[in-house]
Amino acid sequence: MKEAAVIVIGSGPAGLAAADALSRRGIAPIVVIERDDGPGGLPRYCGHLGFGWEYTRRLDSGRQFARRLLARLDPARVTLFTRTSALSIVRMPSLRVEVVGPEIGLTGIGAKAIILATGAREQSRAARLLPGQRPASGVFTTGMLQQYETRGLAVPGQRAVILGTEHVSFSVLLTARRLGLGVVAMVEPGSRIASFPAAGLAAQWLARVPIFTDSTVEDIEGFDSVEAVVLRTPSGVRRIACDGLIVTGGFVPDAQLATEAGLAMDERSGGPVIDQDMHTDHPGVFAAGNLLRPIESSGIAALEGARAGAAVAAYLAGGRPDAVGPGRAIALDDAFRYLVPQHWSWGAPPLVDAPALRPSLRVRADERQARVVLRVDGRALWTSSPRALLRERRVRVNLSALSSVEPVDVRVELERV
Amino acid sequence: MTASGYDVAIVGAGVVGCAVAREFSRYHLKAILIEANSDLCEESSKGNTATLATGNDTPAGSLERRLVVRGHQRYLAEGPGLGLPIRLVGALTVAFTEDEAAIVAEEVRAARAEGFGDVELVGAQHIYARVPALAAGAVAASWAPTEGIVDGFSTAFAFALDAVENGVDYRASSPVTAARRREGSWILSTPTGEVQARLVVNCGGLRADSVEAAAGYRDFVVKPRRGQYIVYDKSAQRLVGTILRPTPTPTTRGIYIAPSIFGNVLLGPTAEEIEDRNDRRVTPAGLAELQAFGRRMLPALLAEPVVALYAGMRPATDRPEYRIIPRFAEDWLTVAGIRSTGLTGSLGIAEHVLDLVVPEVFKAARKHALNPVSVPSLDAGAPRPWQDAARVAADPAYGEIVCHCERVSRGEIRDVLASPIPARSIKALRRRTRVMMGRCQGFFCGARVEALLRDRDA
Repeated sequence: MKEAAVIVIGSGPAGLAAADALSRRGIAPIVVIERDDGPGGLPRYCGHLGFGWEYTRRLDSGRQFARRLLARLDPARVTLFTRTSALSIVRMPSLRVEVVGPEIGLTGIGAKAIILATGAREQSRAARLLPGQRPASGVFTTGMLQQYETRGLAVPGQRAVILGTEHVSFSVLLTARRLGLGVVAMVEPGSRIASFPAAGLAAQWLARVPIFTDSTVEDIEGFDSVEAVVLRTPSGVRRIACDGLIVTGGFVPDAQLATEAGLAMDERSGGPVIDQDMHTDHPGVFAAGNLLRPIESSGIAALEGARAGAAVAAYLAGGRPDAVGPGRAIALDDAFRYLVPQHWSWGAPPLVDAPALRPSLRVRADERQARVVLRVDGRALWTSSPRALLRERRVRVNLSALSSVEPVDVRVELERV
Repeated sequence: MTASGYDVAIVGAGVVGCAVAREFSRYHLKAILIEANSDLCEESSKGNTATLATGNDTPAGSLERRLVVRGHQRYLAEGPGLGLPIRLVGALTVAFTEDEAAIVAEEVRAARAEGFGDVELVGAQHIYARVPALAAGAVAASWAPTEGIVDGFSTAFAFALDAVENGVDYRASSPVTAARRREGSWILSTPTGEVQARLVVNCGGLRADSVEAAAGYRDFVVKPRRGQYIVYDKSAQRLVGTILRPTPTPTTRGIYIAPSIFGNVLLGPTAEEIEDRNDRRVTPAGLAELQAFGRRMLPALLAEPVVALYAGMRPATDRPEYRIIPRFAEDWLTVAGIRSTGLTGSLGIAEHVLDLVVPEVFKAARKHALNPVSVPSLDAGAPRPWQDAARVAADPAYGEIVCHCERVSRGEIRDVLASPIPARSIKALRRRTRVMMGRCQGFFCGARVEALLRDRDA
C-alpha cells in the first residue's frame, strides 16, 4: 500500500492540468494513473491543429498540446504511472484506489482526494445498431483510426465512407487521407451538418466529398473486409462501393469507474453529478473533463482539470462544504439535454486563482430563437439574449450569480421567442 | 507432418469436429483435424446462444435427444477439467396466456415423463421472484434448473487443444476441394496440400454438403437458418440471471433472453431461412423483431447499452434430424445436420462416432496416459492473471491491461499468440481472450492489439 496526497485518474488534458494545478499549490505527492502506454489522453493521437486553445491561447495539435501539458508538470511532486489501470475506488475506511500496472504491481494507493478524469469515447458501430455484415476488417471509429496512424500501422483499403458530421468527423477525413484512404462520402442522420457549416463546405468543395444528410446506413456489405455501404437517403437507397467505414462522434463519457464506485450519476450527461467545485457526492472525490458529459473541447477539459485541482487544494485546506448534498440540485427544463454542474453548494467561497466555471449546457434539439433563464425562487436572476441554439454547441448560462444567494429552488429554463 | 498416412481425417473444426478429434486422440490412431477457415469455430459454432441444454425439448426418442442428454452429462463431468466455465442458471419458459400455460404444462408433463425429473411447472410468484423485471402478466412457466450457459468458442478451442496435445494434427485454411479414393485411402485436396487418410469424418457443419459433394455424396443439402442477436452490456445482468424463453409455437422455439458467461445479456436469435450461407447480416428488420420481443418480455432491457450485434447460422439440412450417416464400405462417415444443439451435444456425438468406428473400422486400443489440457476461463467471475499480485510481480506483462473494458492483459495476449493453436487474426485473438469484445469495441485498444498481433512478440 502506497500513499499519495492526491490521485489523478487519467492523463488527458483534464488530468494533466489538474496535476499541474495541484503541484503549483504545493501539494505533493501527486500520483497520475494512465492506463494507455503513454500520457496525453485522446489528443495524444491527434496530429491536426485546434487543441487546447481555451487553456493555452495557442494553436497546437493534439500531440503538441499533450506534450505542453506534460512538460509543465513538476517531477518532484508528480509521479506518472502509464500502462497502469485504476481498478476500483474504495472509500472505507479511507480513500484508496486499487491499481495494477507492470511497474507498480497489483496494489492500493491511499489518498486524501481523488480526481477522476477518465474522458470519453465514441460509441461503437454496435451501440448505434448499425446493421449489415461484420467484416473482419474495415470498420473503424475515429479514435481507433487515429491510433492506427500514430502507431504507424498501415490501414488496408483506399475508399472510406464516414458516418457522422461532427467536428471529429472532419478531422478524421484528414487522418484518412494521410493513411491513403480517400473519403467517398459522409453520411449524416440529421438534417444538417453537425460541425461548423464551413467544415462541410470545405469537405464538399475542396475535398469533393459528397455529404448525405437525412441519411442512414442500411447495410454494410463484405465478408472479410468492407465492400460497400448501403445508404437510405431522401432520394432512395444508394449503394456506395468502399473498403472502409469510419464511425465517428457519438461520444459518451467513459464512466465505468465512476459508476462502479457508486458515485451519483446523471443519466442526462452520462457522467457523475458534480457541484461548482467539480466535487462529486463522495467527499474527496472530484471529477473533470469529458467524463462529465459528451463532450467539450480539450481546452475546456483542461480548464476544468485546473479548476478541480484548485478545488481539491481548497478542500484539503479545509473550510469547504463537504460535497454535493441534498436540496442543492439545479432543476433543468426538458428542452435541455444536460447541464454540468448539476448541483450548487451554497456557502462555498469562490475558488481563488482558479479558472472560471464554464457550465456545459446543451439543448435537446435545435432551437430557432430562444433564451436561457436562470430562475431562483421564481425570480429571473440571469437571462441570456435570444438566439438560435444548436444541439451540438455549448449554450451559455451564467451560474456564478448563485454564489451571492442562498435560494430554495433553482432552475434553468428555456424560453422560446 | 507430411500429408500421407492418417488413419482418420476429421473435416471441420467447429465444436463437433473438435470434440470428435479429441475423442480420436484417446485411441492409438493417427488423426488430423482440417479446417477450411483460418481459425476454428468460424461458422455455426460461433454466433449462437452458448447455452448448455438438458435436451428436454428435443424430440423424444430421437438420436438428437440421446446424444444431447449424454453430451450434457459429459460436459458437466469433463468441462471443469478443461478449464471450461459452466453456470447452471436454469431456464424459464414463460406463458402469458391460459393457452400458452396449457402448452407449457404439457411440455413439463412430457419432460418429466421422459426422465427430466427436475423440470417443474411454476406459477407467477416463483417467476417474478426469479426475474422481477419480467413484463407483467406471466401466468405460468416451466423451470428447468439444470439448463446452463457456457463459453462456446473456448469449448471448441479446449477440445482442439486437447486433441493436439494428445497427438492429433491440426491444419487450418484447408477447405476440401476434392476427395478421391486411392489404394484404400481417401485423398483430400486442399490449398495447403493433400491429406491422405483411411477414414474421413465429415463434420463440415454449414458446408457439410459441399464436403460430401467433393466425394460424390448428395444425400442432403444444408439449409442454413440465420439467427441475429443483440448483446447488451454487463449492467443488464442485474435484470436477468436466468434463461428466458417464450412459450414455443409449433414452428419455432422462439427468441431467448439469456445471460452470457462473459457477463452480458443476449437477446436472440431470429430464425430466417437464408440462401447464401455467407449472409451473416444483421438487418433492420431482424433488430426490430428482437427489440419488439425484448420489449414484450423484459422491457427494461431495451434501455441498456448495446455492446455487439451478430448473426450466426444454424447448419440445418432439408430434414429436421441429425444426419449421422456411416458408409464404412467406403470409409466415410457423415456427421451433419447438427442444427442448434451441437454445443451441448458435441461430447455425446463424439462418443457416438467412436462407438460406430471402433471396432467396426479400427480395432484400436485406448491410450493409457494422456497429456492434460486446460484453457483459461473467460467467465466474467473467474480470476484473471492480473488479479494475482504474485503472478504480476513475477511476470509484469500480466499487470499491463491492454483491453480496458474486458480487462485483458498483455501477458494473456502474448500467451495466446504462442499457443499450440495460435491466434493469427484479430478475430481469433478476440475469441480467445475477449479483447475488443467489451463496450468500446476496440476504440481504446484496437490499434494496440493490432500492433501486438503484427509484432507477434507481445
